[in-house]
Amino acid sequence: MALSLRRKQLDVIVRMLHLNQQQLPNGSEGQGEEEAYKLLVMDQPCVSLLSPVLKVGDLRRHGVTLTLGIDRPRQAVPDAPAVYLVRPTPSNVDRIAADAAAGLYASFHVNFSTSVPRPVLERLAAACAAAPPACAGRVARVADQYIDFVCLEEGLFSLAQPRAYVALNDPAAADADITSLVDAVALGLFCVFATLGVVPVIRCARGGPAEMVAATLDARLRDHLLAKPNLFTEAASAAVVSFQRPVLCLFDRNFELSVGVQHDWSYRPLVHDVLGLKLNKLKLPAEKYELDDSDKFWITNSWSPFPKVAEEIEAQLAKYKQDVDEVNQRTGGGGGVEFNGTDLIGNTRHLMNAVNSLPELTERKKMIDKHTNIATALLGHIKERSLDGYCDCENDMLVNGTVDRNTLLSLLKGKGTKEDKLRLAVTYLLSFETLPSSELEHVEAALRESEVDMSAFQYVKRIKALNTQFAAASGTATKSNIVDWAEKLYGQSLSAVTAGVKNLLSDGRQLALTRTVEALMEGKPNPDVDDYLLFDPRASRSGSGGQFKGPFREAIVFMIGGGNYIEYRSLMELEQRTQPSKHVIYGATEILSGAEFIHQLAELGQKAGLGGASSNIPPGAAQ
Amino acid sequence: MSRVRDRTEDFKEAVRVAALSHGYTEVSSTPAPPHPFSSAYGRKLNDPQFIALRCVAMQAQLAALMSSFIIRKLTPKSPFTNAAIKTLESIRELERFIVKHRRDYVDLHRTTEQERDNIEHEVGVFVKACKEQIDILKNRIHDEEKNGNAKTWLGTRDESSRLDLIAHQHGVVLILCERLHSVTAQFDRLRSMRFQDAINRAMPRKKIQKKPEIKPAEPSKSNLVLKSDVSKIGDQEVSTAPMRVQEQLLDDETRALQVELTSLLDAVQETETKMMEMSALNHLMSTHVLQQAQQIQYLYDQWDCGLCVSPVTSSALSQAVEATNNVERGNKELSQAIQRNSSSRTFLLLFFFVLTFSVLFLDWYSK
Repeated sequence: MALSLRRKQLDVIVRMLHLNQQQLPNGSEGQGEEEAYKLLVMDQPCVSLLSPVLKVGDLRRHGVTLTLGIDRPRQAVPDAPAVYLVRPTPSNVDRIAADAAAGLYASFHVNFSTSVPRPVLERLAAACAAAPPACAGRVARVADQYIDFVCLEEGLFSLAQPRAYVALNDPAAADADITSLVDAVALGLFCVFATLGVVPVIRCARGGPAEMVAATLDARLRDHLLAKPNLFTEAASAAVVSFQRPVLCLFDRNFELSVGVQHDWSYRPLVHDVLGLKLNKLKLPAEKYELDDSDKFWITNSWSPFPKVAEEIEAQLAKYKQDVDEVNQRTGGGGGVEFNGTDLIGNTRHLMNAVNSLPELTERKKMIDKHTNIATALLGHIKERSLDGYCDCENDMLVNGTVDRNTLLSLLKGKGTKEDKLRLAVTYLLSFETLPSSELEHVEAALRESEVDMSAFQYVKRIKALNTQFAAASGTATKSNIVDWAEKLYGQSLSAVTAGVKNLLSDGRQLALTRTVEALMEGKPNPDVDDYLLFDPRASRSGSGGQFKGPFREAIVFMIGGGNYIEYRSLMELEQRTQPSKHVIYGATEILSGAEFIHQLAELGQKAGLGGASSNIPPGAAQ
Repeated sequence: MSRVRDRTEDFKEAVRVAALSHGYTEVSSTPAPPHPFSSAYGRKLNDPQFIALRCVAMQAQLAALMSSFIIRKLTPKSPFTNAAIKTLESIRELERFIVKHRRDYVDLHRTTEQERDNIEHEVGVFVKACKEQIDILKNRIHDEEKNGNAKTWLGTRDESSRLDLIAHQHGVVLILCERLHSVTAQFDRLRSMRFQDAINRAMPRKKIQKKPEIKPAEPSKSNLVLKSDVSKIGDQEVSTAPMRVQEQLLDDETRALQVELTSLLDAVQETETKMMEMSALNHLMSTHVLQQAQQIQYLYDQWDCGLCVSPVTSSALSQAVEATNNVERGNKELSQAIQRNSSSRTFLLLFFFVLTFSVLFLDWYSK
């Protein structure tokens, strides 16, 4: 059973759009035709939730005539049902009640993207009760859809909770803030599992936000499983369940910080980092593009390094020209005017083939044009910022463990935006356990020369310094107390960073994340992961039953604090490498590019009072 | 397969509770109303009988509220929506028809050509009827909008209250168009399969044509080779006679084949022209519908981006609508002008005719 998150989310949404009526595959009979044309009203987060999954044309196929925003002034369409898909906030609920009282639409089908809390539901009920009786009768249905996550691809999702990393690591953060953030993350994960319909086994490292999220999620799942029937009863019976249950691996961004900032040379991370790919949509100064599963070139080439991509585009263009010439030759050429009798039927057939293949050819041309433009834009940026130099240098540092000081310093003094230089410096910091202080001085001097804001650099330096301080204390098991929260964080990141660094140095370019996930999925005793906590919502609280540690066929990897296409790629490679093939889904609180992550680090540095000379980096605008 | 938690029951329960508490708070807040006869009235309001009356009234309201959940009042649909639903039903009907006869149509040996033509004809008629219905709906939107424009002297206020409704109706028509287009595309695929079969049936004849072509070429080549061989060998007297007979035979063969070729050529040209016609019709049906869909989509997109950007974009849409109206009117005027032109010509001819005869008559009369 391959977990296909996107398809399941699509199913839920389509069923919601068809007002939960039974429908046959072709929709030929049995579909309530009175409700064939409906309106869809959403708020902004739900619009971004829906856009990677359904396009406007697809919406029309399901009978939606108009998509409206909930906050815009709307007018009455008296004979159409309205489907609302909103987040359960009080303001949304007030709007819905106002619409119902005004009688804007014939019937209201209210769907909340996550579970609606009791007070909000009562608020809606009170507003409806206060209005004339017909108003409440119009509300035909209220449902919790549990789809509050953005599914960018089949195996990649994001919770669209920006700045989670900043909020979690903020030294001045209040406990209440952190708890609410942890709750929000747990709720998002609960939505993911509700859509998938499985109850996972949760594994996470000790201490840190991962453990908190795991505990909250475990509690929520347990509570939910107590009620029968619940969302998970369709899953297989308990006996078979262990074989098919996936494992949820929770990680914190501090586990492997370097992946968040490094430059990468493959196509998709480059597009995301340099050109700003959001929700599978790319906006160039000239025009907009959409990059998703329907684009074959994108799928086959997203993980190839950039030069290879350029070659591929050339090859495709040549092939296209060849095809076009062939078509022209067969139909145009000389056979048009003189009726060579024997060729006539052949001509007709060729004409018909040509006419049929024309749309396909135009599609191919459009795709080739699109990627040519994207590649050209990328090339412009790469030349301007000499990103190839950065990539090579970082690769050397992270994989080979060597650094050519001259190249490093020349890069820091040379071309590239401030974020690029910061990223290089941070990667340099993180690649080596101990750095000779003279080197550090040189690097810092170079950075200051380029007028780069030093807060991020200082912040990472401090984390490293604190890690070495806590070197002795990492072994002892301490209880996770929110008051000792900061110490837990640093203590955990120490072991994680050194472990990550060791792995990186010894094993080539395999991310620590991938290795850990592989170890967790295999379930064999492994010193790296043995002290990972295990939560099993289906097991009884006393924990008497044997804890199920693996092997698992499927895994869901979640990164708290910001994920990355580089990690996604390495997980895909893991999936393809293992025999029999395992299935991995990757998710994060948000998908960050390196520049955005550096902004967040800088912000944290400033909050911690480590700000350098100038504070002209704007606060992180992450997505 | 419900991954969804239905909270409707919770909601109804909450509404009931809220209604009760609402009534309760109303009852308890009556002690001091600002009323002219407050002194006398106030005593009356605190009267337990009055409170009981209010309780009864509250209960009646509550009952009405809960019953509105159960008995959902079916609001009558506008005639537009009814027409749209009927059109959708007829498109579904068409789809079912095509699916039912799909095998008959495609399979070579189940039906005759005549029956296939029948099926095509019926489908064509159906498609035309659906298209007409869609056109009627589209015109109705324009008319309603024009009427709206004409009646309101208050201007924008009334228009904006109908913006969403008009956009919704455009969306409905667009959905219908797209459905029709997909169904006709389905049918066109079946048609192209039929054409392929027809071509394939003509193709074997072509192959036979090709072979006799090659054969006359080869015998002539072999002739030359033979002649050169013979000349090389130098045994001309003995071999010329049988060679000449061979030549004769080959010539006859070639002539016969050429005659056959030309006759086949004529037949092929005929089938080819017929097929070109059919393929033209083929594309006409689906492209016509697609064109219409594109037209509507254009108008609809104007609505859509207009709605997204700012609430008052009726001017842009009405301009587009007016443009189409103008074009239509222009067409009408042109056709009327042509009619008038032709009618005036006949009148003129008649006039001259009559004049000629009257002159002749007068001439004869004066004699």
